[in-house]
Amino acid sequence: MPEENRRRGVIAYLQVLPTWMVLGIFFVLPLVIMLVISFGQRGTYGGLKPIEDLWAYVSAGGFLANYRRSIEPLYLSIYWRSLWMAVVTTLLCLVVSYPIAYYIAVVAPARFKNLLLGLVVIPFWTSFLIRTYAWMLILRTEGLLNSVLLGAGVTDQPLNLLYTDFAVMIGLVYGELPFMILPLYASLEKLDLGLLEASLDLGANKVATFFRVTVPLTMPGIVAGIILVFIPSIGQFVVSDLLGGAKSILAGNLIQNQFAIARNKPFGAAIAFELTAVVLVLLFAYAMYTKRKGQEVLL
Amino acid sequence: MNRTKTTLSALLGATVLVAGLAGCARKADDAPAATQAKDAGKLNIYIWSAYLPKEVIDKFSAQTGIQVNFDVYDSNEALLEKLQSGVADYDLVVPSDYMVKILVAEKLIQPIDHAKLPNIANLDPRFLDKKFDPKNQYSLPYFWGTTGFGYNKAKLGTLDSWQAIFDPKNKGRILMLDDMREVFGATLKSMGKSLNETDPAVLKQAADLLKKQKKLVATYNSGDFANILAAGDVDIAHGYNGQLAEVVAKEPEKLAYVVPKEGATLWMDNVCLPAKARNVENAYKFLNYIMEAEVNAEIVNGVSYASANVPAKKFISPEILNDPSIYPSDEVIGRCEFLEDIGDTTTLLDEYWTEIKAQ
Amino acid sequence: MNLPAESPRVDLVPRPVGRLAPVPRPARPVSWERRLLATHSLLVYLFLYVPIVILILYSFNRSKQTAAWEGFTFNWYLRLFHNDLILRAVKNSLVVATITTVLATIIGTLAALALARGKFRGKGSTQAALYMPIIIPEIVIGAALVTFFGVVEMRLGLTTVVIAHVAFCISYVAIVVRARLAGFDRSLEEAANDLGAGPWDTFRRVTLPIILPGIVAGALLVFTISIDDYVITSFVAGVGATTLPIQIYSMLKVGVTPEVNAVSTLLLLLTVVLIAIAQRVQQEPTPKGGTKK
Repeated sequence: MPEENRRRGVIAYLQVLPTWMVLGIFFVLPLVIMLVISFGQRGTYGGLKPIEDLWAYVSAGGFLANYRRSIEPLYLSIYWRSLWMAVVTTLLCLVVSYPIAYYIAVVAPARFKNLLLGLVVIPFWTSFLIRTYAWMLILRTEGLLNSVLLGAGVTDQPLNLLYTDFAVMIGLVYGELPFMILPLYASLEKLDLGLLEASLDLGANKVATFFRVTVPLTMPGIVAGIILVFIPSIGQFVVSDLLGGAKSILAGNLIQNQFAIARNKPFGAAIAFELTAVVLVLLFAYAMYTKRKGQEVLL
Repeated sequence: MNRTKTTLSALLGATVLVAGLAGCARKADDAPAATQAKDAGKLNIYIWSAYLPKEVIDKFSAQTGIQVNFDVYDSNEALLEKLQSGVADYDLVVPSDYMVKILVAEKLIQPIDHAKLPNIANLDPRFLDKKFDPKNQYSLPYFWGTTGFGYNKAKLGTLDSWQAIFDPKNKGRILMLDDMREVFGATLKSMGKSLNETDPAVLKQAADLLKKQKKLVATYNSGDFANILAAGDVDIAHGYNGQLAEVVAKEPEKLAYVVPKEGATLWMDNVCLPAKARNVENAYKFLNYIMEAEVNAEIVNGVSYASANVPAKKFISPEILNDPSIYPSDEVIGRCEFLEDIGDTTTLLDEYWTEIKAQ
Repeated sequence: MNLPAESPRVDLVPRPVGRLAPVPRPARPVSWERRLLATHSLLVYLFLYVPIVILILYSFNRSKQTAAWEGFTFNWYLRLFHNDLILRAVKNSLVVATITTVLATIIGTLAALALARGKFRGKGSTQAALYMPIIIPEIVIGAALVTFFGVVEMRLGLTTVVIAHVAFCISYVAIVVRARLAGFDRSLEEAANDLGAGPWDTFRRVTLPIILPGIVAGALLVFTISIDDYVITSFVAGVGATTLPIQIYSMLKVGVTPEVNAVSTLLLLLTVVLIAIAQRVQQEPTPKGGTKK
């Protein structure tokens, strides 16, 4: 009924109105302001340099100066490093998470599933900063791990674990693990074991069954997990500051430095928008993929 | 319905738990204002972490009835950002030397009326009338100190030069401040140059030195440097004298602090009044209060940094007063320089800093 | 040979016979595989919990700083209740988290409902808008917001923190509730309609109970995110609006005392309690006479 549809339409508009108001004013608008700022230049003391002749500035392409600077080799190497770190983190998470998600979804007795899942999530409920600090206590020269290793006689010199890439990786994987386990679990739970049996019956061995039946069937969960882990990993900076000894600059540190230290807001904004653009491209690819498969997108 | 009851009782339980925790906080908030009338007003202070003992604030509130709120920051730039936003509501801030000049240029702080501060006479003239604020129109000294390095003298012997932080023997055992001005400052001093060098060729040399040095560095850290030295994670820690002096005092046979012979940064943190401060009179009252000899001594004793207050020295604990790391001799002060803002060269420096960190 | 239409692939798979015929094997992992998986899972749980255990243990450690254990004490918990800075930060965090949870949950649930079944133009852009808070790095959001508040001259304080939190938390609720709505059987609603229930009644007594677990999950998620948020809050917090993560971060830079461990342990307890409650809510039977989930 057209009247019913119109009523439905009105109700729907009313339902999204608060969202649009909040997001429109306190999200979209600030971002637009930031975008405008990214076309500006840093003033002598931070802040913005006033532009005398707007038309000349725009037509000369001056407004793209920050974007041009941001693709200089120095910065490209930083993005590359961030990308690489995010990829490794995501892969590690995937490899570590799949077996445990499989265990909870398929192997564990039904009455324990919720408990086991809850146990995965509970560490997530403590302060992220404090969990990272706990890793510092574990990994430092006079920390727990070294005390145990020295005491047990495994090594005679304390290992230099803190302030290394290794420590940063541990911190990152640690923080992102639940975000990979949960989507994997969701997919694995829906897995029809009968299909696996059929595959085995038809002569495939277990390895082949895994890669040619299980993995494709759980691909939605894998992809969702990859997205949920990859995106925050690209933009993070706290873990590399605390556990990495602030020795490396990742994209997140770069942006933070521009805003907090170099006080070059326009440049920082430009980098930030580029980072966002990369993520958007990835998400677009994901949307294309799910559309092709005819499955529901995340939202 | 069963479910409604469960949900309601669950929510009730959670609310009780939350209220319990919040209630403790509310009690803590109400205590100082309890004694006097509410009309005495408020005072909002924005200051470095651990720069103001709570007892001093409580006594002030008890005396005047003014309710004091204070928030902390850990970098001058964070302070600048908040003031630049125009909507941070602070009445008293404590920027470092070079930041004072920037705040004046950006019209973010207002002139201080010396007539309203009788205790100004207590201030040591050696620390007044500096280049970053002639005649102290906008700022008054709060704390001052040096940026040298602390080190494990039991392991490394006595050190007296910046060359120690470039020495490959100390690979992986060095901590540098995560502060580009301070790190470049130390390097420039080791090259015999000024901290405020703007010559791009000199800066490039310094940057190259630092890029080579990076593999010797265990970590860059501007906050916890003293504890990291004390915990044995590093043998040399570039850092500010106050915190390093504290850990040295706890283990004097093992640790030491030095201002290298080539010179170092002399820094001064100063109290200022933001231009948009709303409780200016209360701010003056507080300023006058912390310049009283005994109060100032209480602050110094609590924080282990030197103040520029002369009569306070009578009440400062002798360990602090006689500690050359905290109250260095004139000769040491003579080797040191203030940091000044280098204007547009900041962008060049930031680029080098990024290159160094990106290796 | 005429094969039935439903099994078009049988003739493509050669079926070995005799000695080479495969013995049908169960799809459920066999015992050594189970043990392997169980061991791996145990190791992962250990990895997840070692820092938590350390965190809790060291809240009872007499020593202030180092890894050395110097004796058991409740001292830090007692000192915590006199540490005004931390207590004020906790209060701020709880206030912000609670208000944010209520607002974000309501707004987000409404949005999810509209997206799941409404027909309206702008559906695509609403979805895109809801994606943004998750994609865009927190540091950009924080910087954009503080600039914005400056432009509109809104004073920074607890209100600006709440606004910021609500703005970026709506998306999380929307996603979770939408996922819950995805498997929702509309015929239940239609049945209720046919039986004479008005739209509000239908919503209250049919829709709401079914999506309640999703709403609760979303609310819990928002609560945690809000309590733990550092980056955005650090940009928009004003006088007296220091939240717990900001307080912790400033202490992390200067030197942590175990009071921080103590407060983290207490907060952990609080959230575990909240989860347990949420679990109870989820396991209650849905509309009277319906089946247990």
